[in-house]
Amino acid sequence: MIRVKNVRKIYPNGFVALDGIDVHISRNEFVYLVGQSGAGKSTLLSMMYKAEIPTSGDIYIDNIALSNIDANQVPYLRRSIGVIFQDYKLLPRRTVYENVAFALRVMHFSRSRIRRQVTQVLELVGLQQKMHHYPSELSGGEQQRICIARAIVNNPPILLADEPTGSLDPDTSWEIMQLLSKINARQTTVIVATHNKSIVDDIRKRVIAVENGRVIRDEQLGLYNP
Amino acid sequence: MIRDFLFFTTEALISIRRSGIMMFISIATITVSLIVFGIFLLLSANISNLTTYFAAKLEIRAYLKDSTRPDEILDLKTRFEAIPSVRKVEFIDKNTAWEEFKKNYPKIELNTLISDNPLPNAFRIILSDSAKLTTVANHLKGFESVEDVGDMGAIADRITAFSEYTRIAGIILVSLLTFATLLIIVNTIRLTVIARQDEITIMQLVGATTSFIRWPFIIEGLIIGVIGSVFSIVFLIFGYSFFVMRFQEKIPFFPLVYSHFTLNIIYLGIFIVGTTLGVLGAYLSVSRTIKSNY
Repeated sequence: MIRVKNVRKIYPNGFVALDGIDVHISRNEFVYLVGQSGAGKSTLLSMMYKAEIPTSGDIYIDNIALSNIDANQVPYLRRSIGVIFQDYKLLPRRTVYENVAFALRVMHFSRSRIRRQVTQVLELVGLQQKMHHYPSELSGGEQQRICIARAIVNNPPILLADEPTGSLDPDTSWEIMQLLSKINARQTTVIVATHNKSIVDDIRKRVIAVENGRVIRDEQLGLYNP
Repeated sequence: MIRDFLFFTTEALISIRRSGIMMFISIATITVSLIVFGIFLLLSANISNLTTYFAAKLEIRAYLKDSTRPDEILDLKTRFEAIPSVRKVEFIDKNTAWEEFKKNYPKIELNTLISDNPLPNAFRIILSDSAKLTTVANHLKGFESVEDVGDMGAIADRITAFSEYTRIAGIILVSLLTFATLLIIVNTIRLTVIARQDEITIMQLVGATTSFIRWPFIIEGLIIGVIGSVFSIVFLIFGYSFFVMRFQEKIPFFPLVYSHFTLNIIYLGIFIVGTTLGVLGAYLSVSRTIKSNY
C-alpha cells in the first residue's frame, strides 16, 4: 500500500532530516512510528500527503509515485489520506458539525449525504451531542476527536496521525488510541507517529523506530524501547 | 455547480460579516481610492470639454478684394463650403460690418476721421475641427479674390497642443492611478487573506482544490469592489453637483460638463474599474498565498 523508497530529505540549511528511509506498509496495517522529537517522524508523514517533498527517493501509494503527482492533483491525493495533527488544526469559528462537513464540502458532496456521513462519524467518535458547539468550548480530547472525525468522514483508506496524543492526558490519550484501533479495524491503514511510550507498550502493534533520519528498528508487536 | 456557487457566496458573506473592522477598512480604502480616481476623471473630462468649447469659438476671416463682383462672392461661398472640415461659411457685407463697428465704438468720431467705409467684404468661416485651422487658412490665401486671411492660427495651435498634452497626461495619470488603486486593493484584500491563512492551510490539508479555495475570496473581492464603487459613485454624484452649483454661482456660463451621458460613462467606468480591481486584487493575493502552501 505505502512504499517508502530510499527517501532522503536535506533542508536548505544542510540539516539532514531523513537519510535513506526504506519502509513498506501493507493494507490495513497499524504502525507506530517512534523516535525522539526531531528524529524525522513528522517529516516522513508530511511526505506521504505531499506537504513535504523528498530531496531524493520516492514514496509510492498504491504503486503511484508521489513525485508524479503534480500540484493540481495533490488535493485528490489528500482526499484519500486522512490526517490528524497534534494541534488539531480546526476552524475556530465553525461548529463541530461544520468542521467535519467541510472535508466533504470540498469534495462537492450533496447536502443530504454530508448530513448523513457527518452524523455517522460524530456518533463513531462520540461527539453527536456536541455537534453544534464550537471547538473552543470543548476539551483537548474532544477537539482531537473532531480532528479524527474530519480525517475519516469520507472513509479514506489511509489515516496518518502525527502525535495525536501529544497534548492530552494519559486517560484521554488512551481513549484516542482505542478510537484509532477501532478505525483500523474498519479496514483503514493507520500510521501513528508518537513518542508516547506507555501507549506503544500497551497497545502492541508494528513499531518502526527512527533515529537521526534512519530506520533503526522495525518489528511486529514491538515495544517503544528494544 | 449552483450548489457550489451558493456555498461560495455564503462563505464570502460569512467572512465579510465576521471580518468586521477589517472589512470596513478595506471598503473605506477602496472607496477613497476610487473617489480620487473619479475626481481625476471628472477633472480631465472638464478640461477636454473646455478645450473643445474654446476650439469651437475659433474662426477664420477671409477679407475680399474690393474688386470682387457679387457673382464671384456667391461662387466663393460655395467653394469655401466645399473645403473639408469647414462647418459654416457666413458672408459679412462691408456696409453691415461698418455699421456694426460704428455701433460698437460710438465714442469714436469716425466720420470726422474717415469719410469712406474702410472695411472690406469678408467671409466668416467656422470649422468643425480646430486642428485644421492653419491648413484651411493657408488654403484660403491661395484664392485670387482673397486679399487677406485673419486667423487665430497661433491660438488654435496652442489649444490643440494643450488638449493633446492633457489627453496624453490624462492617459498616463489614469494608468498610474489604476495601478495604484490595484496595489491598494490587492494589499487590503491580502490582509484579509493573511488573516485567514490558517483556514486556507486547513482547506488544503483536507483536499480542497485551488479553485475551491479561491472562489469565496474572489466573490468577497467582488462584493468589496461593488460596495466601494457604489459608495464612491454616490459621493462623486453629490460632490460634483454641489461643486457645479457653487461654481455656477461664482462664474456663470462657464462650460462645465453637465451631460448625463458623459457623467454616466465616468460613473460606469469607476464601477467597472472598482469591481474589476476587487476581483483581480482578490485573485492575485489569494493565489500568492495558496502557492506558498503547496
